[in-house]
Order: sequence, then C-alpha cells, then structure tokens
Amino acid sequence: MIGARWSIVETAARLLSCEERQAVLGDLAEARESAWSTLRGVLGLVVRRQALLWKSWRPWLAGFGIALPSSFLLMGVSVNVSWSYQRLLCPELLRAAALTKGSGLFLLLWQTSLLIGWAFSGGFVVGATSRRTLWASAALCYAPCLFCLSRFRIESLSRLCLLLFLVPAIWGVRQGLRQVRLHSSSALLLALTVTALMIPHWDSNAHAWSTAQLNLTWLLSLPAWYLVAISRRDAAEPAIET
Amino acid sequence: MKDHSRGFYKHVIDSSPDYSHNVVLIMLGEFEYLLITAAATLGDDAYGAAIREELGRTTGRKCSIGALYTTIERLETKGLLKTWMGEATPQRGGRAKRMVRVTPKGVQAARQFYDAVMRVSRGASWVAQTERATGSGK
Repeated sequence: MIGARWSIVETAARLLSCEERQAVLGDLAEARESAWSTLRGVLGLVVRRQALLWKSWRPWLAGFGIALPSSFLLMGVSVNVSWSYQRLLCPELLRAAALTKGSGLFLLLWQTSLLIGWAFSGGFVVGATSRRTLWASAALCYAPCLFCLSRFRIESLSRLCLLLFLVPAIWGVRQGLRQVRLHSSSALLLALTVTALMIPHWDSNAHAWSTAQLNLTWLLSLPAWYLVAISRRDAAEPAIET
Repeated sequence: MKDHSRGFYKHVIDSSPDYSHNVVLIMLGEFEYLLITAAATLGDDAYGAAIREELGRTTGRKCSIGALYTTIERLETKGLLKTWMGEATPQRGGRAKRMVRVTPKGVQAARQFYDAVMRVSRGASWVAQTERATGSGK
C-alpha cells in the first residue's frame, strides 16, 4: 500500500520538469513528508505551474482561437475530400456532379492540398505557441471530433473520414514543437500557397458549401499568416515557451 | 531615471535622500521578501527545503512547496535570485537540491522593501506598544 502511494506520487511528479521533480521530491523527502502530503504538494505545484501558463494569451489563442474552431471546419473539409475521392471512384457520382475524371481529380488534389495547408499551419501554430498547454489544445480539438463522430450520418462514408485532417495537423504540431517558428521564406510560401488555393473556392460549383461556410474557411488561413508574422519578428527576440 | 512620483513609493523616496539618485525600484510582495530574506540568511546553504524550514521557523507558518517554487522562479525571472542544481544527498533519496542565491539586485529590492515597511510603520500603535514593551523606543 505504501509502495502504491509513492508510485502515485512518482507518477504525478512526472508532470514536472526533470530538474524540478528532483528538487521537489528531494525537499519533501528531506522534510519527511507523508506520501499524501507529498502528493498534495506536487499536485499543488503542477496546478500553479499550469495556472501561470494560462496568464499568457498564447494558450488561449492556441486552444480557443485555433484548435477548437479549426477542428470543426477541418472536419467539414475532410468530409469534402473523402466525398471527392468517392466520386472519383464511382463514375455515376462523377456524372451526377457534372464532372469529368480530370476535373474530379483536380478537385480532389485541390481540396487535399488545402486541407494539408490549413491543418499543417494550424497545427504548427498550436505546437509552437502552447507547448506546455498542448494537452488543453488537444482536448479542445478532440471534443468537437467526438461530438461530430457521434452525429455522423453519411452512410456511404466511414466516420473516420472526419478525422483526415488530424494527419497533417499532428505533423504540424510536431514541427511546431521542434522549430517554434518557420523560416520566413517557408512561412510566406505556405501562406501564399494556402491563400492562392482558396481563390478557386469562390468559383467552384463542385462543392455544396454555403457562403457562410466559405467565409469561415478564410479563418483557416489565418494561422499561416500568423506564421509569416512571427517568422519576420526580430530574430534576436527569444521565443517565449508556454 | 524612473518616475517615482506615484503612490506609496513617492513617500519613501521623498523622505529618503539615499534613494533619490538613479534608483530603480523593484516592487516585492510580502512572500517574495520573506523568501529573499530566508535565502540571504541561509547563505550558501540556501535551497528549497532549507528555505521552507527557515520560513516555517521564523513566521510560524508552513509554506507549500508550490508557493515556494513558483515564487523562486518568479524572483529568478526578475533577476533577484539565481538558482542552480546542487548535489544529491542520501537524506533526499539521492535527489539533487535546487540551490538559491540572492543577487545584488535582490538584496537591493529586499532593502527597499524593509526600509519602506520600517518607515511606514513609524507611529503605528502596535510599533509603539512593542517599543514600550521592549524599551527600545527610549
């Protein structure tokens, strides 16, 4: 039982950085604190650390500004990509949509490129701006996913097609965690590509999106332009880790 | 030179010629002051557990490890403390200590806080009572 209590303490202490974990557990051991008292102390420190992180605007931007709204929009784009792919495989559906095989393929590639660009840039910003609050951003992304998965009613498509965006998004998060900011030319190229890819959006009759949905998709380009903005900031300015 | 023409510190500056030239005031909280003072008292032996024990002994209140470490980090960010990882001891289960040293800026901030408290306390009824009780006011 005593061993189990201390293993809970050790597990909780993993939420702290390595050096802090050593110092805190050592201090509490030196003070001969009980396992529960140690656990309370460790969890108290973890909560304080997290609370301090949320005093910055970055976790709010990453979680409520990007992860939550983008996951809703990107699930819609993911379904569109899956729908375009299905149409390409089924000539009847292609004819019904008044598309040729070539234009259907172009539509699929275009939508896939947009999905990758949007999800990657959003993921990158989330990874770069909320490293230590990534768990919250992830929760705010997965909550809409679970909501939509439970209400998905298109029989011809698998529910998993909703989650297509997660692949480039997770890739973006990983890159964001590693690099914090993109090279300015790469960021500009990404932003220009995503914006340019959006232009045909307004002329295309191939999708059944409303004007409101189209307007909302412009929001998905904002992370790419945010990356341009932070990449152009003074290189001497240290990146703030949150 | 900073603008010292605000609030409580205006009184401190105006009444003290020592602080009238090129002084940068650093605002300290009560717990921050206590922590700096405890670390300064302990000197080379200042680290988390020792500071916590010193604070408990002098104030009669046990501070939480969370309050201690978040305050240490805040003070280090302000440049008032310097910390580094020290040696591990068997008493600590082989875990390293986080050693703490008060920087000159920290000493200056603590002195300013102390002077301000002393100055503002002059004439307070409890100070007069204490002085009468100890005979130090005579």
